[in-house]
Amino acid sequence: MDKELEHQFITNLEKHQNIAHKICRIYTNDQDSHKDLFQEITIQLWKAYPKFRGEAKFSTWMYRVALNTAITLYRKKKRGIKTQDFDSVHFKIKSEEYDGEVEENLKLMYAAISELNDIEKALVFLYLEEKNYREISETLGITEVNARVKMNRVKTKLKSIINP
Amino acid sequence: MDELDILKKDWKQQEASLPKLSYNEIYKMLWKKSSSIVKWIFIISILELLFWGVLNISLSDGEFWKRMEVINLKEFTVIVYILSYAVTFYFIYRFYRNYKKISSTDDAATLMKNILTTRKTVKYYIGFIIISTALTSLVYAYFTIFHHAATTEVENVANYSFTVTQWLILSGVLIFSIGVFLGIIWLFYRLIYGILLNRLNKNYKELKNLEG
Repeated sequence: MDKELEHQFITNLEKHQNIAHKICRIYTNDQDSHKDLFQEITIQLWKAYPKFRGEAKFSTWMYRVALNTAITLYRKKKRGIKTQDFDSVHFKIKSEEYDGEVEENLKLMYAAISELNDIEKALVFLYLEEKNYREISETLGITEVNARVKMNRVKTKLKSIINP
Repeated sequence: MDELDILKKDWKQQEASLPKLSYNEIYKMLWKKSSSIVKWIFIISILELLFWGVLNISLSDGEFWKRMEVINLKEFTVIVYILSYAVTFYFIYRFYRNYKKISSTDDAATLMKNILTTRKTVKYYIGFIIISTALTSLVYAYFTIFHHAATTEVENVANYSFTVTQWLILSGVLIFSIGVFLGIIWLFYRLIYGILLNRLNKNYKELKNLEG
């Protein structure tokens, strides 16, 4: 593979790596799995890169390939059961910024997100990334109506965890 | 502020705590092996196609053809073989076509559908093998028995000839054992399927429900 392409790819990925890391945070619960998934995303992006012609933005293209990897292509490695405290490893909530109740709610919501199924996680991720319904429906390959219905369900689900 | 808005705001702040990989770290990852499900599906499917193909060929040695000639099934066997080769090649071609369609740059639903279709091609091939094996086994069994009866000395035939009930029992046992044998193969495939495609099937259903 030509050096120029390689350099271009790594530079792009280095710049946009947050997208992949955020997906790893949503789809994995420990650092080893996070690394594994990140690596698979990198491999998949690299394999698909020759087909990336730059019609879309690198980031837009990356959302799609990275999510596809997390939902469909990635095969979870079997690991011994790890009992790491989810929020202490993964999401660092800055206590000083929130009052006690808000902080507690955030913890609950992050914990709830980790319990969602793969598709719901994708929806929450795209919502948190402020993608509009057109983009969501194009990324997932469903109609906008379906995307809306599903999104509302997930939102309700998350809210009901805090206000049962 | 709504809970979800707070979550959204916090989500942005989480970025500060994300890992940051260097150019070199990413470079090293490019050459690592993928453990993607598509790779596994490809390997397993190729192994299956090869297994059945080789089994088919290796069973048909000279001895086999001599036996077929004795029971007057040589022509039948030749036709069965031509057909099964044609069908095998057709399935390999379909498999290859479907496999080439799998692309990580498609939308999620299309990607899942293409993977499932590729796997389905192999499933149909196995289905074809099982059904055709069952049918040809029955034909061979029938002709072997018929041939045996026809070439045995007349006085002995009386000793050996079966009553209707005995025929029924014999056919029953034959059909039953062929059925059990093929059933086991089928179960084995369901198992491979379960392991490989369970999550994919579930996600595809989840994604596409509500859609006509």
